[in-house]
Amino acid sequence: MKALVCVKRVIDYNVKIRVKSDKSGVETDNVKMSMNPFDEIAVEEAIRLKEKNQIQEVVILSIGTDKSQETIRSGLAMGGDRGILVKTEKDQLEPLTVGKIIKSVSDKEKPDLIILGKQAIDDDCNQTGQIVATLLEFPQATFASELKKNNDNTLEVTREVDGGLETVKINIPCVVTTDLRLNEPRYASLPNIMKAKQKKIDVLEIGSFDIDIKDRLQILEVNEPPERKPGIKVDDVDSLVEKLKNEAKVL
Amino acid sequence: MDSSVNINSEIINFKQYLLSNTDILKDILSKLEKVSTKSREAFKSALTKDNRIDNQLLEINQSKTHGFAWFDTYRIGLRETLNWFTRLNNDNKSSEIDAAVTLFAFAEYLMQMRNGIMMSQSEIVRPSDLHLDDNDFEFMNDDSVRDLLEIGLSDKIKTVIVDSLDKDIHPSLGLNDETLDMIQDQFKKFTEEEILPHANEWHLKDALIPDDVLKKMAELGVFSIAIPENYGGLGMGKVAMCVVTEELSRGFLAAGSLGTRAEIAGELIRLGGTEEQKKKYLPEIASGNILTTAVFTEPNTGSDLGSLSTRAQLQGDDYIINGNKTWITHGARSDLMTVLARTDMNQKGYKGLSMFLVEKPRGNCEKPFPMEGMSGSEIEVLGYRGMKEYEIALEDIKVSRKNLLGEQEGNGFKQLMETFESARIQTAARAVGVAQNALELSLQYAKDRSQFGKQILKFPRIFNKLAWMAMETTVARQITLFSAREKDNDARCDIEAGMAKLLAARVAWSNADSALQIHGGNGYALEYPISRVLCDSRILNIFEGAAEIQAQIIVKGLLAR
Ligand SMILES: Cc1cc2nc3c(=O)[nH]c(=O)nc-3n(C[C@H](O)[C@H](O)[C@H](O)COP(=O)(O)OP(=O)(O)OC[C@H]3O[C@@H](n4cnc5c(N)ncnc54)[C@H](O)[C@@H]3O)c2cc1C
Repeated sequence: MKALVCVKRVIDYNVKIRVKSDKSGVETDNVKMSMNPFDEIAVEEAIRLKEKNQIQEVVILSIGTDKSQETIRSGLAMGGDRGILVKTEKDQLEPLTVGKIIKSVSDKEKPDLIILGKQAIDDDCNQTGQIVATLLEFPQATFASELKKNNDNTLEVTREVDGGLETVKINIPCVVTTDLRLNEPRYASLPNIMKAKQKKIDVLEIGSFDIDIKDRLQILEVNEPPERKPGIKVDDVDSLVEKLKNEAKVL
Repeated sequence: MDSSVNINSEIINFKQYLLSNTDILKDILSKLEKVSTKSREAFKSALTKDNRIDNQLLEINQSKTHGFAWFDTYRIGLRETLNWFTRLNNDNKSSEIDAAVTLFAFAEYLMQMRNGIMMSQSEIVRPSDLHLDDNDFEFMNDDSVRDLLEIGLSDKIKTVIVDSLDKDIHPSLGLNDETLDMIQDQFKKFTEEEILPHANEWHLKDALIPDDVLKKMAELGVFSIAIPENYGGLGMGKVAMCVVTEELSRGFLAAGSLGTRAEIAGELIRLGGTEEQKKKYLPEIASGNILTTAVFTEPNTGSDLGSLSTRAQLQGDDYIINGNKTWITHGARSDLMTVLARTDMNQKGYKGLSMFLVEKPRGNCEKPFPMEGMSGSEIEVLGYRGMKEYEIALEDIKVSRKNLLGEQEGNGFKQLMETFESARIQTAARAVGVAQNALELSLQYAKDRSQFGKQILKFPRIFNKLAWMAMETTVARQITLFSAREKDNDARCDIEAGMAKLLAARVAWSNADSALQIHGGNGYALEYPISRVLCDSRILNIFEGAAEIQAQIIVKGLLAR
């Protein structure tokens, strides 16, 4: 069995995001970038399946600029076997474009499991996994919080849904998107970081895919979230009720 | 001077200024080299008797000569800071704060070199002590240098530094290598998740760092960094060691210091051991199965190790060790002691010393020394907790002659000296980690705390302290990484390693002190981590060569050059 793990390079979750002064997007100069945390969970899950001998190969795929090689490399340092970078000039591609590329790579690689984060923490789209499953006509299990491989070529996946937990059984090959509680990704150890240096990353130009990468969406403006106004003290209950009614208009 | 840059105008781009004036900084460095040479030659001729540096004269002039060690430490620090900025810039990675820190460092250190350097809070060395006078600093009257000083010392540059810190943009590390960046990233994460949240609790409970944290560190490879690959290690070199050490120490000094012991024992055995000793011990140290402890200091011999009195006498095929040792860090929870003892009673000095690899059963808090002939008691300490220090008595401890390091007597002191370069670099990296921790804690506090209707961060006396911390931490880090790179390239760097340790230890203490000041009364409360960092930082000036001894070693090296 082979897993294809899709990872995206995003601004590190610890960084305080700043909007560019022309409001065209967020500041990325000298900003620390890392693997999207949900994708890190996907890498971890694939490696755990490999450690249980349920998967033989873990391939890490990223679509992005040359710098995304670093992101792939950190997946290899966690324990991935090899990497594929589909190289683009642009930092951000829309989910549909990404989905089409993943389909194309998948047609060639023929993975049994495509596993990726439920969303990227930069654009929060939560679309890519679903689009990939649709394009490939694979079954999908999204928001996975537990994953088990059965002996009959199916996966049992527990999903986090609004009302609680839902467990589904899906056929392989399939697409799984990961939620926060699926696992806690490991730290890459020094020996594994050293080993990752020798692992192969194939670099493919996006132009070599016969795919229309034109954006369908146009960003008009990016704004900082409004600053929270300081609170005030009221003298008594009456004035509190009065303010809730007339100012906050919640009563 | 670039006419677009005017300190009084609203917009100043320090990076632009630095890039168009790099030649001035280079010129300053070459002037300083001349000044340094003049001072050195003057000391040489004043201290030479019978064609060699006379130890008695050296001692009479101790403060002055140590002042020269500090002077040259500043010079090398500035040189490496400029080299750091230049490398960053060549890689298109320099940012405004990097430029601001570089300019601030040049201006501040240059002023101190001309007017007086604080070797400690109570000792200032002045140019006249170094056989220098106003003429030697004439170049500082050039218009271009004056502009630099004005810009570099301005409140404006410090505001820019602190604005950047406020946005979480710190001076770049400048590691310049994808693998090192990844190592830094992983250990930062580990420290933030597994060390930082617990450090204060471990400190306040005076507890050992828990076994499972040790195990995780071993799995990550902390103890195997410097051990060669053919002996089960990673053979990664000193720069990687610095990166890991700084991160761990930023969380908790003892966490960054666990590796020190593996480093000392590893280097002793790698450089001085027989093939059999290497094969037996190095893989076990690398895996973390064997924890080591360094047993050198005695109640009556600390800095003057060469005169120690613990004895090891050969009886048949065994040595019998007797003596008292003290300040033994991690003395209980460890499996292998590297013991320095006297084998030749006729040689009173360092030539009579030998190093022994003494195995012992691992102790714990309840039963620290479960070995016959070994007893001891804990020394309660201000900081640097997490491993525990002990005073130890060794009584008729029997070790096979196979456990004499290198199986040759009389080499113990020399073998120990060979490890000093590495140990100093590692200790400098620990100090940089502590310094960075102090900076980060006080930055956060200064953002959160408001007085007189605004964040205290906005007051010049607060942001000036923060900018100073960021600047000095950077200089200390860059001189440390420089020594590490030299060591990795097999270049001799004993002097620079000593300089790194000397400066970084002072910076750690002064950062901690300023950081506590920024905390006001809360800084004095045990509950606030900065109170621990203050205690932790204080040790760095004492062990691995106390500041006075370190300066002595540096100046002896400089005068021999
Ligand atoms: C927390 C802690 C952990 C330690 N861990 C270990 C360990 O694991 N293993 C180990 O073997 N040792 C350890 N040490 C011991 C440490 O290495 C010594 O404390 C250090 O070498 C200084 O020796 P000393 O304390 O005897 O001071 P002294 O040598 O007595 O020095 C006292 C003061 O005099 C100064 N001084 C001494 N000689 C001169 C001189 N010629 N000129 C000018 N000034 C001078 C010193 O710089 C110092 O300021 C540890 C110490 C501490 C505090």
